[in-house]
Amino acid sequence: MADSAAEARVDRTLVARTLLGDDRNAFEQLLRRHQGMVRAQLRRLVHGDVAAADDLAQETFILAWRKLDQFRGDARFSTWLYRIAYSCFLQAHRKKSPQVDNASEGETERVPAPEHAMDLQLDFERAMRRLSEPEQTVLLHCVQMGLSHEEAAYVLAMPLGTVKTHATRGKAKLKTWLAAWHGAADEEQTA
Amino acid sequence: MNPSRDDAIESLLRSQFDGPVRDEGFSEQLMQRLPHRRRRVAWPVWGGMLVGAAACWLALLPSPLVDAGWHDWAGGHWTASAVAVLAAMLGMALLALAWGVAEADDR
Repeated sequence: MADSAAEARVDRTLVARTLLGDDRNAFEQLLRRHQGMVRAQLRRLVHGDVAAADDLAQETFILAWRKLDQFRGDARFSTWLYRIAYSCFLQAHRKKSPQVDNASEGETERVPAPEHAMDLQLDFERAMRRLSEPEQTVLLHCVQMGLSHEEAAYVLAMPLGTVKTHATRGKAKLKTWLAAWHGAADEEQTA
Repeated sequence: MNPSRDDAIESLLRSQFDGPVRDEGFSEQLMQRLPHRRRRVAWPVWGGMLVGAAACWLALLPSPLVDAGWHDWAGGHWTASAVAVLAAMLGMALLALAWGVAEADDR
């Protein structure tokens, strides 16, 4: 908690230095501090397309540079960046033909679940793809990236109640679909 | 909801997340592409407001209604023309206020 407060103070100082002195070095420090998580967020959102994620990350940081004077400091700087990154992703996603999305969704639905799953990662990836887009997105931000429900609501521009509902439903679905793995894990623990 | 099962799902989700991506030249490349920041200057806004107000005044000057309203208002007589001038000024002030609030929201 204290660490995250200290991190936030460092970010605010770097933002102030960038704005007051038009200090590119300060912005470079901000970029180096946050590029890793922003790129990881975007890679997940674009389902592992590294080139597309990096293009979006570039767009995100250039927008952040242009709009830095709009950062008011009421959210953490990282959260503000995730919000910009998510809106860049949404814009790019909307530009794509909706037919392509439908096709890929249909494909996911048609793939039968393996009867004897051997690889947890494969099963997990498959289960994640079966979740709805909002459930995947909420679980990415709330659980995998460690944001609070309030922060995720800010990043995704969703009502807080909706975020909580998607998180609960998503986890419940994963629990059901990956029940066999839990059974195996429980057996391993008791053995 | 079983909390331990919830924890298991959450730790599974976390373990499947690769975490921060290594920089590998990304920051350096981006810094080279960063455009120069355009500084906001205030004078065009103030200049535009002054020119707009002057143009408005010049356009209304030949009208007897404005002149009569102005004199009535200055003399403390609440005639129809004085109320019309006051209502016009109030309307413009409200428009400016709405514009200011919208600009503040965008920032």
